[in-house]
Amino acid sequence: MTDTLPEQTQNGSPDVRTRARRLLPWLGSLQSYIGLVLIVAIGIATQGDTFLDQTNLTNAVGNFASRGILAVGVTLVILTAGIDLSVGSLLGFASMASAMMLANHDMPVWQIVPLCMLIGAAFGFVNGVGTSVLRIQSFVMTLAMLSIARGLDRQMSDNQSVGTTVAGPDGKLTENAEAFQSLGTPGHNVGVGFLGPDGVYYPVLAFVVVCVVFHLILSRTAFGRHIYAVGGNPTAARLSGINVTLVVIAVFTLSGMLAGFAGPIDAAYSVSADPQAGNTYELDAIAAAVIGGASLAGGKGTIIGTFVGALILTLLDNVLGLNAVSDNWQLVIKGLIVVVAVVLQRPGLLRTLRHRLTPAEKETAP
Amino acid sequence: MTRTPRTAAAAALAAVLALSAGCASKTDDGTGGSGKDGDKSTFTIGYSQANNAEPYRAQLNKQLRYFAKQHKNIKLLPIADAEQDNARQVSQVQQFIQQKVDVLIVSPNEPDPLTPAVEQACQAKIPVIILDRDVKTDCYDSFIGGDNYQIGKKAGEAAIKALPDGGNVAEIRGLLSTDPQKQRHKGFADALKGHDDIKVVEQREGKWLQPEGTKIMQQWLQRGTRIDLVYAHNDPMAIGAQSAAAGAGKAKDIDFIGIDGLAIPDGGIRAVQQGKMIATYLYPTGAEEAAETAAALAEGKSVQKKQTLDTTEITKSNAEDVYGRYDMSKKSG
Repeated sequence: MTDTLPEQTQNGSPDVRTRARRLLPWLGSLQSYIGLVLIVAIGIATQGDTFLDQTNLTNAVGNFASRGILAVGVTLVILTAGIDLSVGSLLGFASMASAMMLANHDMPVWQIVPLCMLIGAAFGFVNGVGTSVLRIQSFVMTLAMLSIARGLDRQMSDNQSVGTTVAGPDGKLTENAEAFQSLGTPGHNVGVGFLGPDGVYYPVLAFVVVCVVFHLILSRTAFGRHIYAVGGNPTAARLSGINVTLVVIAVFTLSGMLAGFAGPIDAAYSVSADPQAGNTYELDAIAAAVIGGASLAGGKGTIIGTFVGALILTLLDNVLGLNAVSDNWQLVIKGLIVVVAVVLQRPGLLRTLRHRLTPAEKETAP
Repeated sequence: MTRTPRTAAAAALAAVLALSAGCASKTDDGTGGSGKDGDKSTFTIGYSQANNAEPYRAQLNKQLRYFAKQHKNIKLLPIADAEQDNARQVSQVQQFIQQKVDVLIVSPNEPDPLTPAVEQACQAKIPVIILDRDVKTDCYDSFIGGDNYQIGKKAGEAAIKALPDGGNVAEIRGLLSTDPQKQRHKGFADALKGHDDIKVVEQREGKWLQPEGTKIMQQWLQRGTRIDLVYAHNDPMAIGAQSAAAGAGKAKDIDFIGIDGLAIPDGGIRAVQQGKMIATYLYPTGAEEAAETAAALAEGKSVQKKQTLDTTEITKSNAEDVYGRYDMSKKSG
């Protein structure tokens, strides 16, 4: 009942309070930035230039890039009030597929990456159909897919890891294996020359580009608005003429496609595809989205938020590692940070803030 | 907090899968059992594996299938994969007891949870072989496993040899809670005792995973720690760390030592041949010994209670030989 009170007072004098009200949700999304700023500050305070060093930041973001890309796909699904638990397994499958395409068929990178995206998209499409047409809860559908994709991965690889440093008869790396390294093997950059003198590390580039593309899709297109509408209120979305089924199938397909895209990156980073690759990555991806402000109830969240969430997770890991914090405490600290981040984003917290702020604004207003 | 429902649902799903797996293995029992009842010339062997999806264990499975075939009197049932899940492995062991296998082989995921199930098998008068990891009972007939302490110690001796003028060592440890990790760590530390010029300057938990090895090594190099030698508790972590050092242009100044020595294209033996590691230590699968012991037990012969398998140091000089000896790709399983 007190909820209505600020509304009424705000109607009284619109300018200041409306402005404050408009600012508040934006500030709300800034809460996750506070966490990031804090971690960066700790990093600089404890390690200074060692932390801020470009190589270090590249390594840190590069390490998380494949999970960050998963997080973008998962964010799309979470926005529709669904969940995608299968992305870790799909990444594992795509990682194994890419390594086998390279090792057994000597395929070039420009064929491997699109094919892996197609494979991922196919799995994602099945998730979407299961969720929307067969009306299986996305939690259950993608949990089943987690198991199915992992099983197929293991069957396909016979539980053996497959290396990506494939040597030709002369003992040197084959041309295609050489090119595959640029997808994420440490120390191998792309675009040397036209993207700076040293080039850029592809996993970082790929992650940033994926974020930009999907940020634009969500914020600038009708499809993006439909995703929010479906997550916010599916009935209202349906009544306003949105094809909910199609939107749901599309987001799962995109999520799968991104997992397929991330697969070769993970294989190149590990210099091999392991049958267990990507195991529990879905939890990191969901954590990044949730820390970034996505609500599991749907309709709320942004790609920028997810990007920040991913940075928080990986830079936190980096700062703890550089400071040689014991492995046991690292786990505790990481868990606490997630809790703090989620508490900060609680809508109730925002409302309390609004309550507190409104009278204060009233007093300072002339 | 999203974890609890997920775990619960995962458990539910695992239960469903276990049930369907149970149905599947019952049909196997039908065919295996009828042969068994007809004549006692072939004995059925049940093998409960902790987790198929580890290259080391996948290799063990292949070798066990191969060596079991070499013994005409035993028949290996389809290997039960516990997928690193203790509860799942307990139920699989119990299923083998229900099927009345003639010999049971178990590679426990963890010692404590599997102990009661193994005791149940002993009570059912089924001969039991414990392979690779221990249990907290000695009712079994034979334990076969490598000596992780000895491996760690040999790795330490190799480090001393590689650093005649002393130096800094970094250690990437396996999952801290696991027994092989503890033994490999202790053996290494004991070997370094008395060599004050060799210091372990960094150590982190790499969880047995290759990408973890890469990440940790990058952070160490970033910290500016001078590292002369990296000792990793398995080959994937050593190879992962090596790729990080290579990426930073520092691989030439650092020696890498791993453990496992798997004869697979992506394994440690090949990495030694490629000069990525100076040495790796064979962690024997024990498959050959397990098949032999199972065949003996099935015939009612007595076997050695504890069979500790020696490791082999793999360097460039013997790598090709060892690879040929354990390569399963050309032997039908």
